[in-house]
Amino acid sequence: MRRPPEQADIAIALHGITKRFPGVVANSDVDLTIRRGTVHAIVGENGAGKSTLMKILYGMLKPDEGTITVDGRTATFGSPAAAIAAGIGMVHQHFMLADNLSVLENVVLGGEPRQRGGLDFRAARARIEQISATYGLQVEPDRLVEELGVGERQRVEICKVLYRGARILILDEPTAVLVPQEVDELFGNLRDLKAEGLTILFISHKLDEVLAVADEITVIRRGSTVASVTPHEVTAPQLAELMVGSALPVPELRESTVTDRPVLEVSDLAVTDPDGRHVLSAISFTIHAGEVLGIAGVEGNGQAELVDALMGVRPISSGTVALSGHDITRSSTRSRREAGMAYIPEDRHRQGLLLEASIWENRVLGHQTVAPSARGLLLNRRAARADTQRIVREYDVRTPGIDVVASALSGGNQQKLIVGREMTGRSVALIAAHPTRGVDVGAQAAIWEHMRAARRAGLAVLLVSADLEELIGMSDSLAVILRGRLVARFDPKTVKPEQLGSAMTGAGASAGAGGAV
Amino acid sequence: MSATGTAVCAGTVLRARRQRISPLGYTGIGLAVLAAVSAVRVATGASDLTSSGTVGAALAAAVPIALAGLGGLWSERAGVVNIGLEGQMVLGTLGAGWAGYQYGPWAGVLMGLLLGALGGLVHAVATVTFGVDHIISGVAVNLVAPGLGLFLAKLVFRNAPGGGQKQSPPVRDVRHLTAPYLTSWLGSLERRQWFLVSDLAAVLRGLTFQISTLTIVAVLLLVATFVVLWWTPFGLRLRSCGEAPYAAESLGVNVRRYKYAAVIVSGAMAGLGGAFLAVSSGQFRDGQTGGRGFIGLASMIFGNWRPGGLAMGAGLFGYTDAMQLRGSDAVHALLLLLGIALLVLTVIQARAGRVVLAAVAGVLGAAFVLWFAATDEVPPELVGATPYVVTLLVLALASQRLRMPKADGQIYRKGDGG
Ligand SMILES: Nc1ncnc2c1ncn2[C@@H]1O[C@H](COP(=O)(O)OP(=O)(O)O)[C@@H](O)[C@H]1O
Ligand SMILES: [Mg+2]
Repeated sequence: MRRPPEQADIAIALHGITKRFPGVVANSDVDLTIRRGTVHAIVGENGAGKSTLMKILYGMLKPDEGTITVDGRTATFGSPAAAIAAGIGMVHQHFMLADNLSVLENVVLGGEPRQRGGLDFRAARARIEQISATYGLQVEPDRLVEELGVGERQRVEICKVLYRGARILILDEPTAVLVPQEVDELFGNLRDLKAEGLTILFISHKLDEVLAVADEITVIRRGSTVASVTPHEVTAPQLAELMVGSALPVPELRESTVTDRPVLEVSDLAVTDPDGRHVLSAISFTIHAGEVLGIAGVEGNGQAELVDALMGVRPISSGTVALSGHDITRSSTRSRREAGMAYIPEDRHRQGLLLEASIWENRVLGHQTVAPSARGLLLNRRAARADTQRIVREYDVRTPGIDVVASALSGGNQQKLIVGREMTGRSVALIAAHPTRGVDVGAQAAIWEHMRAARRAGLAVLLVSADLEELIGMSDSLAVILRGRLVARFDPKTVKPEQLGSAMTGAGASAGAGGAV
Repeated sequence: MSATGTAVCAGTVLRARRQRISPLGYTGIGLAVLAAVSAVRVATGASDLTSSGTVGAALAAAVPIALAGLGGLWSERAGVVNIGLEGQMVLGTLGAGWAGYQYGPWAGVLMGLLLGALGGLVHAVATVTFGVDHIISGVAVNLVAPGLGLFLAKLVFRNAPGGGQKQSPPVRDVRHLTAPYLTSWLGSLERRQWFLVSDLAAVLRGLTFQISTLTIVAVLLLVATFVVLWWTPFGLRLRSCGEAPYAAESLGVNVRRYKYAAVIVSGAMAGLGGAFLAVSSGQFRDGQTGGRGFIGLASMIFGNWRPGGLAMGAGLFGYTDAMQLRGSDAVHALLLLLGIALLVLTVIQARAGRVVLAAVAGVLGAAFVLWFAATDEVPPELVGATPYVVTLLVLALASQRLRMPKADGQIYRKGDGG
């Protein structure tokens, strides 16, 4: 067993932290001790309360109960500024950067070096270059953030925190948006930072990453700390057991259900944005009944545009899309949906639901013209409500009733509601964009099971995801999208995540096993 | 929440670096434009197209537009849409009329500025503190300000000597300055009517002869705005509130305070623009602003939220406005000029691959050239509308990729981010 840490060794101690939100206890009586100069991982599934705890430590939220001790002194942080002053910095789960400002401007914002009333650009540049060199961050001060890739943005965020003299770094799910190679680079940076004596809090729910990089691990489940362990003491399955109380669900397809009947045929599709630039070009693929085609890619390479183009939300500039042999290139979104396109959108809050409308009204959404939601020109309230009851039952949507507003449901239950709504008997194709993003493992397992059922029922499924494990496990074939083109194809049975990562970033592009499309 | 996630990554596909034009390049473009105008002058004989009188009048007409545009720039760079500029300008004319006739023009200017700032403050309280939709609050300012102006005018001007229900007593103008020696030499050059040379002399003379001190103040404010917003920590923080307020907040920037500052300055600029109108025309009159607040806002938008761009838009409006006052000959020649400008834009946009814009510009351009050829004058009913039509047409069809501050117009609530 570990020996208890000496007082002087401790960078941060949290005692009895409790935080309640209306209807949820996000943290309850959390105890956490972080030793100086270590990488301390906090693991827990989606919704376990990790981000909440970190926001409390960073002064963004006030705890209802409990104390925070930093370097042996009790601290109460009323704002991030106070936490920054105490040497704590945080890199948020969603980056906090201004796209239209330069790297330099983003880094110095709020703590600008001055010279005669103006911003001292030269001093700022020198300081950033020095930090960048010391920790191997490779940030270029004069680039516009908009031009940077995800990995670079993350390094800018880290630079931002170091610029403010942080000795304790919080990284909230830093690997969620990275490809495997970028994860390795990040871990290299973290080791450098640790070698310089910095303390790192690393939040994740990817267990092998945690085991690879952490010195100590704290597990959070439903808002409480359930265990503190070291990587040597546990295996990934044991950690999963601690995290969710059972084994983690595994994405996998069993027997093949792929037929030779083409359902969704896309040929030579191109989409340009309002400025005339190509965001998609020469996209061709065919998905057969009972087949899942997975699209891998670093976010922002055209996935969202592809999904929009298939759903008719974004105009297609050339090429064709056919559904069950009928050309739908110019069809409206409504006629596509009526023809059997089911859709799980990427952002359930913005595109999937009316958060302030009731669950049964959300059930009607997108099916407002067909039975059972409609009868002629009018809505059929009774039938719609009855069908909503069925969805709630069959798809295990945990809700007090069908009249509560959608925002009252947890992310996982909202997503199950959407899946249930889309799986009507008429569906022939399913476009699923990040179907399990941000949902808890229970919902994740359920959604995967529904996708398997859809595939068995002969739907053609297009799966877009940032989770490589999900892609590899749930796809019959894989295509990689890079800068708006499909650049490689892989067989999910044989591909390694690293190969996908290379293709996704364009490193050694078509030299990989996949071969160009 | 996840919206930021998607937005964050969009950069990877689109790595186009914007190309910048060097100062030399701008000079070249400026000369080319002047040469084209000069050619039209020679062809049509409308010497007013480039006379120093026109240029001087254009400058004077551009100032209120530019000040309103600056007001828009301050506010929108901090993320608050201020369509209340028009109303704040009205308050500026009122303040200038009231203080101006009693205590002299500079007191009027100061009062106009203060009343404009007050209008800005109202908009700031509504949008920043109470989270009212920016457009609704702006429209409210625009509706209330003229009504209030008229009401107060009745109250304070009716019984004043030379005042009336809808106008103030006369206000003296501020001093006008002329560059010594230079102007007479330029004047003799201008009279020669040489191609390009005389035109250049006329432009320079127009910019140095009898210039209102307020115009000089406005130019200095334009430069100062650029320096403050882009070169100081204050400006960086202010712009960060318009681009990513929650990021700014997470770095300890007091977003509300910067938004307040920006919107108040915005109102003050618009108020100053109104004061310029009142002081330079000699009195406050009801309806004096004539939509200049909106035109200022438009030139700021088509100027891509940048001081240089908005100055160009304001200049264009000022120029056409001046032409309109010069008589029907000049306006008729303007048709040809506009036609040519649109045809040039057609080529530029077509080469950039923007087919629709190019087509619209082409059709309109050809129509204006035909109109010019087929008629001898523009119907007088339409003359008053020319500055507005020309400015909006050219700006809208010329604008390249417009990039507004990312969080512009969004309601900010402290602590909502992340
Ligand atoms: N601002 C908030 N208002 C209401 N509930 C919240 C808020 N932030 C988080 N929650 C809830 O608190 C719980 C923990 O969330 P979070 O800390 O984000 O989890 P994690 O980061 O571990 O995925 C979730 O049930 C979430 O819905
Ligand atoms: Mg989280």
